[in-house]
Order: sequence, then structure tokens, then C-alpha cells
Amino acid sequence: MHIRYLPVMLIVVPVFCLQMQAQEADTLKTLTLDEFVVTGSYRKSIDGSTSQAVGLADKTFLTEHFTGNLVQTLGHMAGIRSMDIGAGFAKPMIRGLGFNRIVVAENGVKQEGQQWGADHGLEIDAFNVERVVVRKGPSSLLYGSDAMGGVIEILPLPAPLQNQWYGEVALLGKSVNETLGGSLMLGVKRNAWHVKTRFSEQHFGDYRIPADTVVYLTQQMPIDGRKLKNTAGFERDASLLAEYQQSGYHAGYAVSNAFQKVGFFPGAHGVPDVSRLQDDGDSRNIDMPFSKVNHLKATTSQQLTSDDRVIRWDLGFQQNHREEWSLFHTHYATQPLPAKDPDKELAFSLSTASSALRVEWSSGEFWKHTAGWDVQYQRNSIAGYSFLLPEYKRFTTGGLWLSVFRPNHQLTVSGGVRYDFGTMNISGYQDIYLEKYLRERNYPEPVVEANKWRSYPIDRRFGDVSGSLGVVLRMSDFYVMKANIGRSFRLPGANELASNGVHHGAFRHEQGDGSLRSEHGWQLDAGFIFEREGIRLTCSPFFSWFENYIYLRPTGEWSVLPHAGQVYRYSGAEAVFAGSEAELSLALLRCLTYRLSGEYVYTHNVDEHTPMAFSPPASMRNALVFNPLKGLQLVAEMQTVATQNRIARNEERTRGANLVHLSASVHLPYADVRLSAHNLLNTAYFNHLSFYRRVEIPEPGRDIQLSIKIPFELRN
Amino acid sequence: MKRKIFFSIYFVAMFAIVLNGCKEDSDTTRPVINLIEPAEDDVLQIGNSNGIHFEAEFSDDEALASYKVDIHPDFDGHTHTRSSDETVDFEFNQSWPISGRNAPIHHHEIKIPENATPGDYHLMVYCTDVAGNESYIAVDVVLSHEAGNHHE
Repeated sequence: MHIRYLPVMLIVVPVFCLQMQAQEADTLKTLTLDEFVVTGSYRKSIDGSTSQAVGLADKTFLTEHFTGNLVQTLGHMAGIRSMDIGAGFAKPMIRGLGFNRIVVAENGVKQEGQQWGADHGLEIDAFNVERVVVRKGPSSLLYGSDAMGGVIEILPLPAPLQNQWYGEVALLGKSVNETLGGSLMLGVKRNAWHVKTRFSEQHFGDYRIPADTVVYLTQQMPIDGRKLKNTAGFERDASLLAEYQQSGYHAGYAVSNAFQKVGFFPGAHGVPDVSRLQDDGDSRNIDMPFSKVNHLKATTSQQLTSDDRVIRWDLGFQQNHREEWSLFHTHYATQPLPAKDPDKELAFSLSTASSALRVEWSSGEFWKHTAGWDVQYQRNSIAGYSFLLPEYKRFTTGGLWLSVFRPNHQLTVSGGVRYDFGTMNISGYQDIYLEKYLRERNYPEPVVEANKWRSYPIDRRFGDVSGSLGVVLRMSDFYVMKANIGRSFRLPGANELASNGVHHGAFRHEQGDGSLRSEHGWQLDAGFIFEREGIRLTCSPFFSWFENYIYLRPTGEWSVLPHAGQVYRYSGAEAVFAGSEAELSLALLRCLTYRLSGEYVYTHNVDEHTPMAFSPPASMRNALVFNPLKGLQLVAEMQTVATQNRIARNEERTRGANLVHLSASVHLPYADVRLSAHNLLNTAYFNHLSFYRRVEIPEPGRDIQLSIKIPFELRN
Repeated sequence: MKRKIFFSIYFVAMFAIVLNGCKEDSDTTRPVINLIEPAEDDVLQIGNSNGIHFEAEFSDDEALASYKVDIHPDFDGHTHTRSSDETVDFEFNQSWPISGRNAPIHHHEIKIPENATPGDYHLMVYCTDVAGNESYIAVDVVLSHEAGNHHE
């Protein structure tokens, strides 16, 4: 079921002649086809290969929607939303599930950062993404814990066929926050070796919003020059990839580093204070509060392919180091100014080592089996004058079995089971300053005792079964029907088990519960794909039931911590998510195509009789794509987002909006140029899923973007 | 065509089941806080044995549960660094139960001791209803030995 096990064809990408291949290199058939036909075939092959709903972002899609931010680009696919943190960074959501409930995997290795945090973006270089497959729906069978909502698989393009030097220069400019970005890629293919390196950098200033004031907590806050103060930032990424391919053996080695630093709007941290919002005359400086994160990742893959067997072993090591800086402040009179880095409020350093082994073989004409074994070990250490998340060690291992039965071209039945075992070891943490503070205020001993432990020591073991069963019916050359039922799980995160404190961003007292059980869900989804000359129609409804969905429940108990309202405690509830995506692409004329895509997610907390927090509002995109000349494409799009009235407790309702986007792309032999206008009418609107939504800050205004990509190659 | 019909029926039926099964009768409306005294930029007198004049109206569409008053220093913008002299930063954190849909409150229970550090403070009022919906507001106040400008 995994994409890399698919027999896939080669692709001829314009100019580059890059080859697209699956890991089963020896079963490949070399085809030379027109670009669009091949894209269609690849899509078709994906459509027909898995019983899950899948979305493909190929090179054409990624170029057409390039924004310098991968998540915002993928947000153009039905069912996928971007949870933005200002104009620069974002995290993905699939069918209403986000944070730790979806997996992002690059080169087969699951990206491990601080996914649980609302103000943490995804640390991936958008310039370096060449192909993405999105699996919507439960994918625990393949990826273990966390993959309940789906998987975003970032896949590299295969090495070029011929010996050559090649490369690409990419430039990006955006008006909304005066982004200047660039990326340089160089590659060399020499016989069995292929080496590729890339360096990218993006710098941006404070972003513009279509409003002069924002109202937060009854306080009017002026937005000087309509620029949101201290939202500037930058990103610097570098990567190196080396591959060796000799007959049935393939080895891949990749090292990448992503660094991001971004300021936070000071009005979004704590009580609004107009004095902190005064224009400092510099729209490109990053002042406190800010966050910075460095993600280092090294992966290797070894693969042996013979006639009827593929063995693949992926190893990965990652380190995610995140710091949040804010001028030293404390509510506890006895807490001294730290001697070193006095303004480092929080720091998390998460190291992850992972291994994935897959053996795949055919038995008889119709059966294909995959067995796999995954191991992952994580260690999180902390620093800073404030406390939010404890130190922990987490170990998980899982074995899986997957069988695919394909008796003919019409029918594919696939099913598999997986068992995972996990341990979670959380260190205790006592806050002596808080203890003194509470004693001074004469709180009763049990209250002091309960609160001085910011995190209790916890040692937990988990065992979880997941699985899926699916069927794909290719009714004719034009129709594909799919149905899939899956059971998925997620181990509770350290924040859900043991966090205890007021986060300066969330601004409320969040408390973990050490006795939480794993999250479990049953998910049912179906798919219908109709495709023939000039028309493609897809519809993919889904229904998910979670017996123990972990969410932050307002308890009604007042927190004793200063500057906090009631306590929000992580609790399990029965929950239902249901909805559908639908997409239509219709060729009206030879050079004019109409595209429609829409999505809806219904969420319900059965225990509380309320919707769930962060329910994406219904949305629709209507676009006209005009190709008057070969290589020239004009797109006019209307994006409609419905009002979201279905909110959880202590969430705000969000008004809907109509946005107009225009773009023009020119594909020349020596360059790809794209000019676009996002939110052309400068409409003031809110994104229900945005980090800044809570503080009533509208989304960025009109954004003119220019992107230029110049590929080159040198053959000898 | 049959398949399309089948799909439409499946789709509609699924939603019908979901929507029927999940009636949302639960309250997600926040309570409303109308803080009358102290108002923004009010001066509160240190050492006044009569206490601060606190007056507010709380209301909710269903049923109120509790309110809380939190006063803490705001000496350096919002850095919350401490004063170094002999005085003590004033901090107040207390909650009171309330009930019903409307609760007019008027009391003098917040007393600022003689040794409180004068300066800028934040006064925050939080309110919850029975379902756990929460509202809060914040006003800037000044603690001073001078007589306050608010009425008794």
C-alpha cells in the first residue's frame, strides 16, 4: 500500500529529464510520454493502488501553488488546511485532525518536532519539496502512533538517467511581508552515484493586515502602518543527498538542517498593552518575544531488490531544538534572574532515533505481502526560566503485516494488522518558587502540594493494535471506487500526560493527566473517482469514531497560578468526525478548464454535546484555468470559506469570507516565472485555525508574489 | 448512473445518521462581564481600610458559576520584575461563587495593605458559567497613597 512499493513508471519532467521511479527499480518500465499524460497516469496509479483517499502534489501542482511555505501550498488540496502562525509559518491539518494526529514523513522517516504546540510550524524547506503524497484518513498501520488523521509523505524525485551536472536557482518575493527568498540547488549524476545539495533562505518583515486597529479583551490596539509589529522572521535551510544505485542495490544518505526564527506579536502574549505595540521604526527586526527552532535530520536507506523480493531498511536521527525568548518575567518574588540567558523562557530539545525495516514479497500470481518492524526512541530535555513541558523518554516499537490480493485489474483487496508497544518515562519537576509563593499566600497544604509539582514522575506502558481493511474496485477505465475501514491509535503526548503551567502563548493553565489511556479511533471512508477525457470528479466521504479522543477540557476550577483563569485539563471523550471532500475538474474549451473543490468536516464531542475545538469551516474553491498559449497559464480563483459557528467551549465563532486570487505562470525553456495576487481585494477576514485568531487579528492582506525558477544542466 | 445514485444515498444517509445522533444542546456561550468599578486607569488607595469599591454585573444565558479577581503588578510594561525597596508587591487572587443568569455584585472585600508598592497594576476579572465557558477582562489601575478617584 505504501507508495514506494508501487510499480511506477518513469516520467519526463520538462527541461530536467528527471526520472521518477519507485523503489522497485528492477520492475520499472521505461516510458517516454507527454508531461500531462504521465502526470495523469501517476495519479491514476495512485488512485488505484490504495483504498485510502490520497492526494498527489506533483511538480506541476507544487509550482502552481508555490508560496515558500509547504503547508500553505498543500492547503490548496481538498481536505487539507493550514493552521497559520502569521504569514510565515504553518502546520497542517487533515480532515479536522492536526497537531500530533497527523504525520509528516520525509524520505520515509517521520518528522519529529514539537507538533503539539499551537505556535510551532513545520520545519521543512519548501524549496526542497519535489513531490508530496497525502494520505487522508487513518494510517497507523504504516506509520504507527500519531498517523490517525493521515500522512503527508514528502518524496524525492529519482536521480536523472544520464550522467550530468544540473541545478536550479529559485527566487521568491512577497509583498505582504516583504519576503525575499532564494534557493540554490546543485546536483551531479556520475554512473552509480547521484549527489544533490540545496541551500535556501527566506527573510521577511512584519506582515500587513487590512485593519488599523484590533480589539482584544475590550482594549483597542492600534496597528501602526497596518503592519503587525514583530512578526518578522527568517528561515535558513541546507540539505545534502547522496545516492548509490547498482543493479539491485540502492543506498541513500540525506542530511538536512532547517533553522527558523520568528517574532511573536507582543499583543498576543499576555494582557494587551498598547505601550508594547508602538512602532519601533523597523519592520524587519525580530524583537522579544520570539521563537527559534533548529531541526537537524540525518537519514539513510538501504534497499535490496530481487525478482520477487524487496528489502528496505531506513534509519534516521533527528534533533529538534526549540527556544522561546521573552524578557525575564516572573510572578514569584523569590525567583532570581537566571545567570545565563536570562530571557530564555522555554527551551525543548527533542532527539529522535528511528528505524524502519520492510520486507516485501510476492506469493503466487495474485498475492503480495509486506512485513515490517519499526523502532523509535525519543528523549526530550528542557531549559528556560519558565516551565511548560517536562523532560521525558519515549520508546515505541511495532510490527506490521500487510497483504494485498489482486486477482485481476478490476479488484484489489488489502488488509493488515499492526501491534505497537510503547513506554513513556516522564521526569518529575518541582517548582520551589511557586511553592514559596503559594505558602506566602497561605494556601492550604494540599493545594501547595498539588501545585508545586509542575510535573509528576510518570512511567507508563502502552500496547495498541491497529489495522485496516480496504477494497479498490476499478469498475471501468473511467471509474474507481474505494472503501476502507481502519483502526488507529495514538499514544498520549508528554504535554497531555504531564504538562502543568501557563503558556505565554496559550495564556491559560493547561494541565496533563498521567492516567490517560491511548487515543483510539475507528475510521470508515469511501472514495469515488470518475475520470475521462476532459473531466475528473472525485468524492471522498468519511466517518470517524473515537472512543477516547484527548482534548483540553475546561474544568471550572480556578487555577491558583497567577495570571490564569480556570484550569484546562487533558481528558478523553467520545468523539465523532465526519465529512467529505469533492473535486471536479472540467475542460470547458480546449484552453479553458473549470476547477471546483469543496470540503466539509463535522465534529462532535459526544460527552460534552459540543463541537470539537479547531473544527475547520466548510470551504470551497472555484477556479478558471486559462491556457491561451503553450507554456502560459492564467488562473482566477474564488475561495469561499463559510462561517464557523460550531465551536467548542471558550472558542470564538469565525465569520466566513470570499477571497479572490489571481495568478499567471509562464513556462519557458530556461525559466519558470509565476506572478500571483493572493487576496486581491485586500479583504479583512479571520482564519478559524490560525494561531492569531484568538487575539482577533485578521489574516494577512493582499499579497503579490513573484517566483522565478531557473533550471540548468550540463551534460558531457 | 446507478453508482452515482447509490453514492448519493450513502452520503445523505450517513449525514442524516450523524446529525441526528449528535444533538448539540450544550451551552457554548460565554458569560458577560460588565465591570463598573474600578474602571480603566482608576487610582486605588493604598491602606484604605474600607477596601476597594468593587462593582460589576455578571450575566449568562444559562447559569453563572463563579468569578475571580486577580490583581498583580505591571511595573515595567509587562515584565513583572520586582521592586527592590521595603514595600511588598500587592497581589490579590480570590474567587466567589455566583449563580443564576444575572448577578450584580458590589463589595469592599479587596483591601490593599499599607506596605503595598505603589505603581501600575493589572486588575483582571474572570467569570465562568456552570458549563465551563469563561470570560475575562483586564483593566490597568494605579495603586497610590493619594486618595483614589473612585466613589465609595
